[in-house]
Amino acid sequence: MFELVHGIYQYRELIWALALKELRVRYKRSVLGFLWALLNPLLMMIVLTLVFGTIMRFSIDHYAIFLLSMLLPWTFFSQALAYSVESVVGNAELLKKVRVPQLVFPTAAVLANIINFLLSLIPLALIVVALRFPLRWTWVYLPIPMVGLFLFTLGASFFFAAINVFFRDISHIVQILLSAWFYGSPIIYSIDFIPKKYHLLFRLNPMLYVLNGFRLSIYYGQLPSPQSVIMSLGCGVTAVVIGFGVFRRYQDIFVYYV
Amino acid sequence: MPSVAVRFHNVVQRFRVIRERPDTLREAFAHFYRKPRNTYHDFEALKHVSFEVPHGTTVGIIGRNGSGKSTILKIVAGVYRATSGEVEVNGSTAPLIELGAGFHHELTGRENILINGLLLGLSKREIQRLEPAIIEFAEIGEFIDAPVKQYSSGMYMRLAFAVATAVNPDILLVDEILAVGDAGFRGKCFDRIAAFRKQGKTIILVSHDQDTVRKFCDRALLIHEGALLADGGPDEVIGRYEEIIGCAASALPTGQFT
Repeated sequence: MFELVHGIYQYRELIWALALKELRVRYKRSVLGFLWALLNPLLMMIVLTLVFGTIMRFSIDHYAIFLLSMLLPWTFFSQALAYSVESVVGNAELLKKVRVPQLVFPTAAVLANIINFLLSLIPLALIVVALRFPLRWTWVYLPIPMVGLFLFTLGASFFFAAINVFFRDISHIVQILLSAWFYGSPIIYSIDFIPKKYHLLFRLNPMLYVLNGFRLSIYYGQLPSPQSVIMSLGCGVTAVVIGFGVFRRYQDIFVYYV
Repeated sequence: MPSVAVRFHNVVQRFRVIRERPDTLREAFAHFYRKPRNTYHDFEALKHVSFEVPHGTTVGIIGRNGSGKSTILKIVAGVYRATSGEVEVNGSTAPLIELGAGFHHELTGRENILINGLLLGLSKREIQRLEPAIIEFAEIGEFIDAPVKQYSSGMYMRLAFAVATAVNPDILLVDEILAVGDAGFRGKCFDRIAAFRKQGKTIILVSHDQDTVRKFCDRALLIHEGALLADGGPDEVIGRYEEIIGCAASALPTGQFT
């Protein structure tokens, strides 16, 4: 853990430059450029609100905000993971030629998506205002679930990036896993729709606590319980310890397999 | 400072050559059940190689393709970790190994200078200080703010060479790169390497070109099939090398070309 913090600090300039590179490349050839970071959640919201709010008629007030409060952190998680899974394999040519600290690649992929995520909070705030939804004071609590979310994502990224070096199926499996995970989490629906007897099952989802923190503070205007706070940070720290542990164990032999 | 820049003692580098590499999970499972035998064999790229390079000397490594020359450079650069034996490297290294590995085609020359410089271990401030000199040396002109995909291959190589040599390492590792560019630029590259020599830097140079070795090197090493065959003055070692090429050529018609 100390090694990770030290490594990130030592190579902060490189990680930052790689993250910016990632974003630049992503938006480089598009006319709207960085605006896509803002437009994307907006368009996603319109589609999903139409489907679930209007056609399926979920009886949820201000469904758009209910949805976005969890959809944005989720989108961050799934995009960051999709990028970082390929981050070591994608830099194979580099790894074979220069001595580079391997940890910079997943970290930069996650950082690029953190920037993207923070930008996407701007349209969210705009939508809240436009729909005359009250802007809750509990927004100030958001940094806590964010830290949990970022840690959890970083841990998962290290884990899958390392395994993908040895089994290239992982990037496909991650795609499927993410989509199952998405529908299995109460993101487009509310956990109240689920019969009580299944709630225990939902509690096994390590993302739930983090996502709930977002929805509570943005939509319900409540603060999560202390247990839930501990759970969301605890899941994040555990993920990093396991994920980076696996990554560190194998990083020296990546170069022979990429 | 210790008197040797690089010391190899009994270094063995073994690669596992897997004939049917389980690249995917399916293959891994299939292999697990079938318990195949001999699907890999260990290939010794370096067989008990020992040599020393004192500070301030220029050493050329010659040998046929696949003899293990580049493996030596990669061990010195820290990309590979020797399977057994002792490796001692005193001082910073910069690889001029296959130039431009870290370049991204969508980014401009200037952006690539930054990322490549960071990858080679410079700080952002150092790169900004060196940038004008790099651009001038590479003779890129106004193209520096265009994406490198628009560069000619010569411009690309020149920029890569300029960045790599701007690092100013204690030990410069040069792999077979001096064949690039037009005669004028090649001359400049040689001048720069000569300047490194004059500053008392250590240079390890891999080349097929016997003239380069004769002209620059104080010493030469001949590597053949992973073993060190000769270590001495360039003329003497090149003599041995020519004998080996001669043998291989005479073996050609009988079909024993491995």
